[in-house]
Amino acid sequence: MNTHADTRTHTIDTNTPVISADDYDTAAFYSDPGAIAVVTNTTPPNAVALPSPQASTAELLAAAQEAGRRAVPAPFAETALVARPLLRRAGLPVPEGPISYAIAPELTIRYTHPSDSAVGSAGSSGDDDSLLVTGTLRRVPWARTATTVVVLATAPFGPVLFTVTPDQAHLAPGANLAEEPRDDLHLAALEVPAAQVRRIPRELLEEAELRAALARAALIAGAAERCVELTTAHTGTRAQFGRPLSHFQAVKQEQARLIEETALVRAAVQAAATPLDTGGRPARFAVAAAKTQASASVAEIARIAHQLHGAIGITQLNPLHHATTRLWSWRDEDGDEATWAVRLARSVTADTLWPALTTAP
Amino acid sequence: MSPSTLSPIAFPDVALPESARQLRTEVRAFLDEERARGTVLGRPDSWLAGWDRDFSHRLAEHGWVAMALPTQYGGAGRGFLERYVVIEELLAAGAPVSAHWVSDRQAGPSILQHGTEEQRRFFLPRIAAGQCFFSIGMSEKSSGSDLASVGTRAERTAGGWRLTGTKMWTGGAHVNDYAIVLARTEEAQDRHAGLSQFIVDLRAPGVRIEPIRLMSGEHRFNAFHLEGVEVPDDMLLGQQGDGWQQVTGELAFERSGPERYLSTFPLLVSLLRELEQRTATAEQLTQIGILTARLHSVRRLSLGVAAALDAGASPDTQAALVKDLGTRLEGTLIDTVRSVLPTPADPHATPGSHAELLAFALLHSPGYTLRGGTNEILRGIITRGLEQNR
Ligand SMILES: Cc1cc2nc3c(=O)[nH]c(=O)nc-3n(C[C@H](O)[C@H](O)[C@H](O)COP(=O)(O)OP(=O)(O)OC[C@H]3O[C@@H](n4cnc5c(N)ncnc54)[C@H](O)[C@@H]3O)c2cc1C
Repeated sequence: MNTHADTRTHTIDTNTPVISADDYDTAAFYSDPGAIAVVTNTTPPNAVALPSPQASTAELLAAAQEAGRRAVPAPFAETALVARPLLRRAGLPVPEGPISYAIAPELTIRYTHPSDSAVGSAGSSGDDDSLLVTGTLRRVPWARTATTVVVLATAPFGPVLFTVTPDQAHLAPGANLAEEPRDDLHLAALEVPAAQVRRIPRELLEEAELRAALARAALIAGAAERCVELTTAHTGTRAQFGRPLSHFQAVKQEQARLIEETALVRAAVQAAATPLDTGGRPARFAVAAAKTQASASVAEIARIAHQLHGAIGITQLNPLHHATTRLWSWRDEDGDEATWAVRLARSVTADTLWPALTTAP
Repeated sequence: MSPSTLSPIAFPDVALPESARQLRTEVRAFLDEERARGTVLGRPDSWLAGWDRDFSHRLAEHGWVAMALPTQYGGAGRGFLERYVVIEELLAAGAPVSAHWVSDRQAGPSILQHGTEEQRRFFLPRIAAGQCFFSIGMSEKSSGSDLASVGTRAERTAGGWRLTGTKMWTGGAHVNDYAIVLARTEEAQDRHAGLSQFIVDLRAPGVRIEPIRLMSGEHRFNAFHLEGVEVPDDMLLGQQGDGWQQVTGELAFERSGPERYLSTFPLLVSLLRELEQRTATAEQLTQIGILTARLHSVRRLSLGVAAALDAGASPDTQAALVKDLGTRLEGTLIDTVRSVLPTPADPHATPGSHAELLAFALLHSPGYTLRGGTNEILRGIITRGLEQNR
């Protein structure tokens, strides 16, 4: 099923920056949707390399934003901000290469050995946590190119994290609006050996949701910045009535709103870095606020960017669509604004709203 | 990691010092005492409407007025981030802070920066003690957004200047002690040249204050007539002819603070209190959550400006950005509150009831996006900042 296995590594030379609007290297990025950006030049500002395992959450978020800004065709944020930390926290080895994740409460999970009640180390293998898993992991980001998929689910003995490789599943390819792979993985009584299974505390299940949402918000922040770049480049050069678009008051007003909304999303994402590390209530608040804000801002950001681009922006001739189709997709993935807003609102009362807003920094 | 085109909207990351946490706890304890006293009523727009000299004085006794001023002038020397913590606590609680607001936010820093040593020694300790209150005399009938068109004239006399003209919308001129007045000292080709700032005693002969009532009937601001007011030489603020630079140099202080997004915050608290008596629907929660996320995000940007100011930078573009976002949010908050819990706004309902707070917030609402520079002008500043950075 893993049809792109041979084209997994795609090297982007960042000695030539891919930032400016005109020479954005879309051909290299999009000729092979299964390609994984491995950036050779790790010198900022042009690098998008998977940060080292020692990287702070703030650094990971900054890198994920950059990946979003460049529409990196790989599960970059998924790997760095979600899958790797979860594996580490669960005490499983972290494999090389891109890793994806699935939070799948609806799987049917049984013990591999016959009796569900025989929990303990009584089995002949000396370990009873090997599982038999049936069900579908839906719309797994980049499943077809991932070396491993980290699955969070509920087993008979409680919350569990285990890994599967895409070739162990039946893969039904899918995609989002930006044609980023979102594949269904059908698991038919898949046997997962105990070595790949970890019982996890309920907090880790929740942390997985928070990490996924925040990673997505960081990608949104990056793509929003891309909209600002492309739009200001366009309004600065395209002339109508003998003047560049950027000289018109009405254009300025809209452009300023675009910039503001983008700054807002970025601030919300940054604000979640420290709380995510400390966990608990501040993490739940800051991440819910970040994903709510990021998703809620998408409509305005995409609307203004397209409006100021005029007709060229609705075509594939212009790179804008790479950003806006991602924004429209990402706002719904890992929880849309309504989902997170409800969680946010439920967490506060008249007496706790202000203390919650001022917990961090 | 950001490309250069974005730097006008680059905001420093903020970490409040541990001392700020301690400070917050102290301010909350103070506010609890004041609530028990009946002075903190959780009202919207308390930095415009909550005028209480004694409250300001008590706040000053804790060292919380002009707290960013150096200790040698009676300040607390605590920096902009700690000041931020104090003023956001006061605004969120709807405390009556308007008496000292302008002297704390603008007059103090401005006199510190541009004033003579004598002016500093005279005014700053009084400001910090919560005993000397200022108004801003900038706008005029034909000079709003186009401030450089001010027509108030200052003519040379033997010992100083004679000021003639009419300032408009001068908040608190009828209750405050001094006003900083922008006047033309020279007719220059360049409209931005030849302007100067003066410290005018609001009880000096020739000052005439004429009330201008808000839609709500409140008397908050005035037409401030200067009918040949004699201002001694030593009350020129800063250099003659530097008025424009001085005024625009203060804008980051004026534009980015928590007062630019918290004016209506007490109304949201009131809404949550109302909802505690019923079961909220998912739709109601969604709206509240989206608003909360936006408040959280705008606060973060606003803190970023405070951090930049604390580091000695002049983040004018960022301040304009925060003010546009923040003041629009103040209005959005009202819309959300109305839509979550439809309530007829009633100015005559019990003071402090939801219907009364809503009426108050609504009647003040058009001012949020005007005062301190209109949002249309602010958005022009943002795009200019972007172009200059190209
Ligand atoms: C509550 C409140 C308190 C105030 N307190 C004080 C005070 O204490 N001291 C003081 O000096 N002033 C004060 N002001 C005055 C305030 O600074 C002015 O209202 C403000 O600068 C706008 O000027 P204006 O009202 O004359 O509007 P105008 O400048 O006449 O503008 C009207 C409209 O046209 C738009 N517009 C104007 N020019 C342009 C342009 N070039 N491009 C795009 N749009 C434009 C504006 O954005 C606005 O929407 C206060 C105002 C309010 C509402």
